[in-house]
Amino acid sequence: MTTTPRTIPEYLEQLRAALRGADPALIQDALYDAEEYLRSELAANPGTDEATLLAGIAGSYGAPEEVADIYRDTEVQVTRALRAPPPAAADKRGALARFFGVIADPYAWTGFFYMLLSLATGIVYFTTVVTGFSVSAGTIVLIIGIPIVILFVGVIRILSLVEGRIVEVMLGERMPRRPLYQGRGQPWLQRIVDMFTDLRTWSTMLYMLLMLPLGTLYFTVAVTGMSTSLGLVLGSVLALLQGMGLDVGHFDIDLGVPLPLWLAIPVCFAGGLLGFFLTLHIARLVARVHGVLAKHLLVKTAQY
Amino acid sequence: MADVEPHLKKFQKELSAGTVSLVLLAVLEQSGEPVYGYQIAKRLERTGDPLLGGKQSALYPVLRNLSAAGLAESHVEPSVSGPPRRYYRITPLGSEVLAEWTRTWRTTRQSVDSVLEGQLP
Repeated sequence: MTTTPRTIPEYLEQLRAALRGADPALIQDALYDAEEYLRSELAANPGTDEATLLAGIAGSYGAPEEVADIYRDTEVQVTRALRAPPPAAADKRGALARFFGVIADPYAWTGFFYMLLSLATGIVYFTTVVTGFSVSAGTIVLIIGIPIVILFVGVIRILSLVEGRIVEVMLGERMPRRPLYQGRGQPWLQRIVDMFTDLRTWSTMLYMLLMLPLGTLYFTVAVTGMSTSLGLVLGSVLALLQGMGLDVGHFDIDLGVPLPLWLAIPVCFAGGLLGFFLTLHIARLVARVHGVLAKHLLVKTAQY
Repeated sequence: MADVEPHLKKFQKELSAGTVSLVLLAVLEQSGEPVYGYQIAKRLERTGDPLLGGKQSALYPVLRNLSAAGLAESHVEPSVSGPPRRYYRITPLGSEVLAEWTRTWRTTRQSVDSVLEGQLP
């Protein structure tokens, strides 16, 4: 049994300890809610000292262990109600069914669209970080540099939350729904120092820089894979129709393979079909790997 | 009576799982203006009912779910004393859903009451 917390940070520390092992995104949300409640309670009862207040919290908001249990329970209920069951359940099917079954996996599709989107978001993140960082670094020696640095770090935090929402919706990785609480009421200088000593600020910036090459890679792979496969499938169908004497319009169909036409058509069709499913598999893999990467760089580093 | 306690706890927990959403939505509808988590918690505490006034930390995840489901909307506002607060307000969809939920609740309550009082048709 832990001792009754006497300050808000102590309470939060106990809550964090009680939630150990839970999803980091859940921990961040739980800590945010608790801090909002505790600070509101403190603001509603001016003159009462923190220790007396926190002694009463166990009866109203709940002791850290109770709160941890409540969040764990609610998370299970919500996950059950809102989420599609994980595709791991499909493992019982044969290898062939699993390979082609990817077409019915929503995360393969959303992952594919994430790959297309990541070029745009990657450029925005990269530009923001590079511009913000160089402007902040250049002006930090002047007094005007201080608000610029604060603004820059604030923008980074917002972008991090936005990217988290995109990642959760499109890649299926649970991400925080609330930002981190930043030490409020502390002097300016202390807050700036905190921003620089907070590992998360740096890992978020790293993630955003990484998003440009990654986004370019994802976009290229997605576009190349999908257009090559669809082109092969469509081309072979058209070639077949033309071979049967059908007028397919102005298309001059040349499958461009050194094979007789009767062999080229099925080979190209099968190749295109295979490529289509492979692209979806790549998209699903990217969805998983990138989800983990985002979780580590945007969330995990905050759980000191 | 040591044996009754865990059963009571379990029943309360299951009962509150469904009713908390209804109650929170009703509070949002009646308040007319956006309210924040702590205000709602204190309002429910005054009812004195252990089911609603229980552990107030249970309200926050439910509020978040209501807002994720589109039944409520929220925004953050800085406050003079204390931290910035997240204010919740009911959406038109939320009002419609609340009307349906209220009807369901009334029907269920009547049926349950009539069974408990032995007035089975």
